[in-house]
Amino acid sequence: MRIMATKKNLYDNFSKTLIDEVHKWGAMKQLGVSLRCMLDFGSVSVSSERNLILAAQFLHRELPIRIARRAIELESLPYGLSEKPAVLKVRDWYLDSFRDLRSFPEIKNMNHERDFTEMIKLIKVRHNNVVPAMALGVQQLKKGLDPKLDYEDLDEIQQFLDRFYLSRIGIRMLIGQHVAVHDPNQQPNCIGYIHAKMSPTQVAKDASEDARAVCLREYGSAPEVNIYGDSGFTFPYVPTHLHMMVFELVKNSLRAVQERFMESDKPVPPICIIVADGEEDVTIKVSDEGGGIARSGLPRIFTYLYSTANDPVYERLDVGSADVVTMAGYGYGLPISRLYARYFGGDLQIISMEGYGTDAYLHLSRLGDSQEPLP
Amino acid sequence: MAAKKLYDSFSKTLLEEVQRWGSMKQTGVSLRYMLEFGSRFPDRNLLLAAQFLHKELPIRIARRAIELQSLPYGLSQKPAILKVRDWYLDSFRDLRSFPDIKDKNDEQEFTKMINLIKVRHNNVVPTMALGVQQLKKDLDPKLDYKDLDDIHQFLDRFYMSRIGIRMLIGQHVAMHEPNPPPDRIGYIHTKMSPVEVARNASEDARSVCLREYGSAPDVIVYGDPDFTFPYVPNHLHLMVFELVKNSLRAVEERFMDSDKIAPPIRIIVADGLEDVTIKVSDEGGGIPRSGLPRIFTYLYSTAKNPLDERADLGTADIATMAGYGFGLPISRLYARYFGGDLQIISMEGYGTDAYLHLSRLGDSQEPLP
Repeated sequence: MRIMATKKNLYDNFSKTLIDEVHKWGAMKQLGVSLRCMLDFGSVSVSSERNLILAAQFLHRELPIRIARRAIELESLPYGLSEKPAVLKVRDWYLDSFRDLRSFPEIKNMNHERDFTEMIKLIKVRHNNVVPAMALGVQQLKKGLDPKLDYEDLDEIQQFLDRFYLSRIGIRMLIGQHVAVHDPNQQPNCIGYIHAKMSPTQVAKDASEDARAVCLREYGSAPEVNIYGDSGFTFPYVPTHLHMMVFELVKNSLRAVQERFMESDKPVPPICIIVADGEEDVTIKVSDEGGGIARSGLPRIFTYLYSTANDPVYERLDVGSADVVTMAGYGYGLPISRLYARYFGGDLQIISMEGYGTDAYLHLSRLGDSQEPLP
Repeated sequence: MAAKKLYDSFSKTLLEEVQRWGSMKQTGVSLRYMLEFGSRFPDRNLLLAAQFLHKELPIRIARRAIELQSLPYGLSQKPAILKVRDWYLDSFRDLRSFPDIKDKNDEQEFTKMINLIKVRHNNVVPTMALGVQQLKKDLDPKLDYKDLDDIHQFLDRFYMSRIGIRMLIGQHVAMHEPNPPPDRIGYIHTKMSPVEVARNASEDARSVCLREYGSAPDVIVYGDPDFTFPYVPNHLHLMVFELVKNSLRAVEERFMDSDKIAPPIRIIVADGLEDVTIKVSDEGGGIPRSGLPRIFTYLYSTAKNPLDERADLGTADIATMAGYGFGLPISRLYARYFGGDLQIISMEGYGTDAYLHLSRLGDSQEPLP
């Protein structure tokens, strides 16, 4: 698909009444849901029509609030970002989705509920390419900016994107969970995207193998990845989120080590992953001896505006499975991984030893009581 | 010591001078500057240096004296704090009443005087700690350490400034040493081997652990022993000692009653372009993420205050903070003093990693809070 470069006037496509509604709903209070709540809800809803209707009614009210909030922000971005063609396109997606939700009648029975579920599924598909589209918008902005401007000066945009993407994770999680609960053929122990007995060591193994495959393709060889942890240990979490985060970290480590040892005779040190289970957190550390990052260079690895990759070519857009968009090539992997970590009350921290290597710490909250962050 | 009324011991004129000097601009000095300045010390340089200190020290001291009098929650009125305030005012008076420094004799007298000032302030840290304890007793026990953020920030500024004052005085005094060891400029070792300092500090920490528990886990240091760079060995020793001490204790407590062999503490010394980084890793079971912020607070202490039993001030101007729970926050200040940092990350249920970043560039100005 191609982004149309023409600017569209807001009122060409959206009535004044709708725009007024957007502002009204965008000011309403958002309601967060915790992982535990999603889990509990999902396990009883599979066989309960009443619960499904209640959930649909909740989403019917909650989704427009969240979507309106973002639509309003999209129109008031600094440095002219709001006028970039790619960003206008995203704004239109948000407004279309808001209109779809607001024009859907009250949900009173299972027929309504099924139609509603179909409708929000389509909304989710409509928004599949938001990340690359926003990335393109940011690139369009960078071209127009003074090249001497440091990424630090664009902190407002950085913060906006963090809020924006975090909100998107939440919206897609809510929609995805609701749709998935209708699936009669759930895997055992799975409630939508949540696996009640996820083994972090297993997910880490899978993600590492995927990352090694990418490294092998690119360099012809790949360092080993050793995983230390109790393979019998499980806890409730979203495997696709964890896979994405570990994949990103291991991918970066493999590349650093490969680049450092490619031309040398020395044996290639393995990437080490440690999985620790505590009471509050499950922590996953990914350590490499890839030479590290200078302390002065560390802040920028989490920025959206600093990219070590070439301009994104649209064909490289890789929409992975289970609604996790792979950000290959935009340099967005780390900041977005951190958002996924924070979504359920966790975090991602990266510490480096210049001249030696880098350690990444993924903290996943075990308690599951954390409300979604609602920026 | 009974609380003293301010005007009993200090004249109104002096106190007005304190206010005036406390608002004058501080001038920072970098490690590189201390190094270059000190490597050639004919008499003229010493004279210039003394004149600089004659003006700079009262500014820094006055600033702290003023802060000491305006602390929240009644901290300023605690007996121990009043004592420290009096030390600062006495030192300010000594400096301000010293005449202009015009020749070598003046300079030598000045150097003796500032050395005495330094000795007067030797026990500031344990005394402030006592003051904080006195405050805690009076406070609502339900108050969380986070609510006392004002006090934390004050103590960070206060101790950081103290590190700077003592560094400046110590360097100046050391310049007079007739037979300095090779490669030394005052406290600065121009060819310090971080691997060697780490080994020494680890052995010291293991001795403490051995005395306390009857055994001590191994400490393995990885890094190039021949790699050297200019730094202050005493500072590094203090920081590594603190980190290894904490790691040893965590591992010992975790494995004491088990059959498993205690895993060693591992230290990695990495030399980069900007930084030398020293990582101290243990498998001592870790700290939960919710508990991590408090390890850098001054008000949260896992140990008793041994001030009354013994005033163990260690050698060479490093006050040993054993027992005050001050080791980590003050270690971080030492790291930051020359543009570095100390970060602690933990994996609950596994262990803790501490990262000491030491800036190699030496261009960082002293932080001047």
